Amino acid sequence: MTETTNQQNSQSAPAERGPYRVVIVDDHAMFRTGVKAEIGRSVAVVGEAADAERAIAVILQAQPDVVLLDVHLPGGGGVEVIRKVHEKNPEQKFLALSVSDAAEDVIGVIRAGARGYVTKSISGTELIDAIRRVAEGDAVFSPRLAGFVLDAFSGSIDLATVDEDLDRLSQREREVLRLIARGYAYKEVAKELFISIKTVETHVSSVLRKLQLSNRHQLTRWATDRRLV
Amino acid sequence: MTATDSSQLEPDLHHSVTEPTQHASGTGQNAQSSVVNLESPKPATILPPAAASGSDSSQAIPQERPRAARVAEGTWLGGVCTGLARHLGWPLLAVRVAFVALATFQFIGVIAYGALWLLLPAESTIKAPGLESASRAGMRDQSKPKRRIDWGMLLALIALGVGLLWIVQNTGWGVSSQLFWPVAFACAGAALVWRQADSAQQKRWREEAGGKAWLAPFVARGGWPSLVRVIVGLGLVGAAFGIVLAQRGQISQLPDVMAMTMLALAGVAIVLAPWLHRSRTALNQARAERVRADARADMAAHLHDSVLQTLAMIQRQADDPKAVQQLARRQERELRNWLYGDELHEATLKAGLTAAAVEIEDERGVPVELVTVGDCDTSEPIQALVRAAREAMVNAAKHSGADKIDVYAEVDEDSVEVFVRDRGKGFDVGAVAQDRLGVKGSIIDRMGRHGGTATIRSASGDGTEVRLEIKR
Repeated sequence: MTETTNQQNSQSAPAERGPYRVVIVDDHAMFRTGVKAEIGRSVAVVGEAADAERAIAVILQAQPDVVLLDVHLPGGGGVEVIRKVHEKNPEQKFLALSVSDAAEDVIGVIRAGARGYVTKSISGTELIDAIRRVAEGDAVFSPRLAGFVLDAFSGSIDLATVDEDLDRLSQREREVLRLIARGYAYKEVAKELFISIKTVETHVSSVLRKLQLSNRHQLTRWATDRRLV
Repeated sequence: MTATDSSQLEPDLHHSVTEPTQHASGTGQNAQSSVVNLESPKPATILPPAAASGSDSSQAIPQERPRAARVAEGTWLGGVCTGLARHLGWPLLAVRVAFVALATFQFIGVIAYGALWLLLPAESTIKAPGLESASRAGMRDQSKPKRRIDWGMLLALIALGVGLLWIVQNTGWGVSSQLFWPVAFACAGAALVWRQADSAQQKRWREEAGGKAWLAPFVARGGWPSLVRVIVGLGLVGAAFGIVLAQRGQISQLPDVMAMTMLALAGVAIVLAPWLHRSRTALNQARAERVRADARADMAAHLHDSVLQTLAMIQRQADDPKAVQQLARRQERELRNWLYGDELHEATLKAGLTAAAVEIEDERGVPVELVTVGDCDTSEPIQALVRAAREAMVNAAKHSGADKIDVYAEVDEDSVEVFVRDRGKGFDVGAVAQDRLGVKGSIIDRMGRHGGTATIRSASGDGTEVRLEIKR
């Protein structure tokens, strides 16, 4: 079935590259099957794995465009998979997928190197769109992730202790994130701020980079501390 | 830097943990109404068990000061200072300086630190059940955040301590040098041996030492570093004795004195150890057993109240896909919240909005995606804001035809903003606002009465966004 779609796509749109190759990593077989059925028409699922060890092997072997990665996984979680794969192949792109809304897990997997985060209740078309975006090198921020990031980068941080650009969001980046948190799609954000979609994508990627590179220890503390507030 | 950073952070953390205000009626009513729904002909609205089971702990945390415990994060040695600072509400740096100062004064600081290290329990962090179990099964990232030790700072502090010691010794206020070095050696030795007794590893050791906890530091397999530590430690204690005797010119009597001391110590140990050990194990076992039993009971009750009921309901309504979907969605949200969610304190903006969103989702069957940044306690204006937001959600669910409603709330230092957005069919604001009571009365006027503003933006085919703002 995958092959036929493969052909169809290459016939209908020869200019574009073929369907994106995707590996699904999740320890629930039922979920893998469900996702495959939902997205199998538009992308090529080239591998599956149910635990971290197997996932690392499959990903390194198949070298897909995007890995759909569960955050909680036997053998050390999604973070472990990202770390091990990036040792060998730093270019591999991951999209985190989870039922857990725990901020520390979400931020953790993003900081490990995932290029986006979506919840498992996401619809098929939205997931395909997210896969495309990640495959093209952009970041995927759900409203919830945008909220977490705004929370992490705002409030209780004393400006005097912020000594690097990495530890701060620019005014524009903040505006973009706020719109995403309000439920705006990238296209709508662009329209609202009178900028191009490409610029929106640049801003989001920049936020992702800051999130990954900032070593401000408040950021890690934030995840644990926020439970007190 | 580390010390100043975290001490600056502390006040902010506790800042918002003020007592919930008394007029919590808004959220209280919501919670009650969802319980009452249990009796209604519609499928039961399940009481959020996160509130039911987790409420004791969640309420205890913000109002009481944290228990004194050793903290694992951001510490230099054993986390005693950090733990104490949190417990007492003092700045961390002050506690550290106090300990160092006390250390120069007859070693009281060192001894107190050591004693507290042994006596204070390690801080326990209890997470949501789903996260706990995922951690246990090795399905989460287990690597601890790297401890960033500021070596420069530490070195400076050590240099300062040594310098102070030296001054004290030289001015003659301190312990006589005859006693000083033996005591220093003995302390270091004892600390090295007992460092092993750090409770994080004690459990494993106890198993390996055949249940004899007091033997554990000597018996258990801690790898070669621990062996070296024990040997060096005992050696240092021995050296302390040696120095005392050598100073008195009685080196020849060393074996006798050593033997005598050993015998005395062994006697004390034999008398005390079994009793200490027995009482400790009994206590620990009882405590662990109770915690386990409680957790099991909670879990069973929760599954019975929620998942079981929903499954039964789904079977009964199997021929109505919409109802089944609604039931499944509600159960999923509820279970997910219980497993991974935050504990919501009752009288906050976030809790109010969450309750409203849940209600709309259940009544209208339209999913509401709620994102909040920051949070604050409820007050009269905040309650008005929550009610207006709820009305906006109702309108979106009723009239827009959108398949999803996005709600975003952001709490600033002095104001709160809420956005309610749908991608439905939209309407002409100018034409409709006059006759539609909901929009005029419940949203715009209500916000106005409490000194806030409501802006409605809508375009035909482009959906509607309601922006509410109010001063805190």
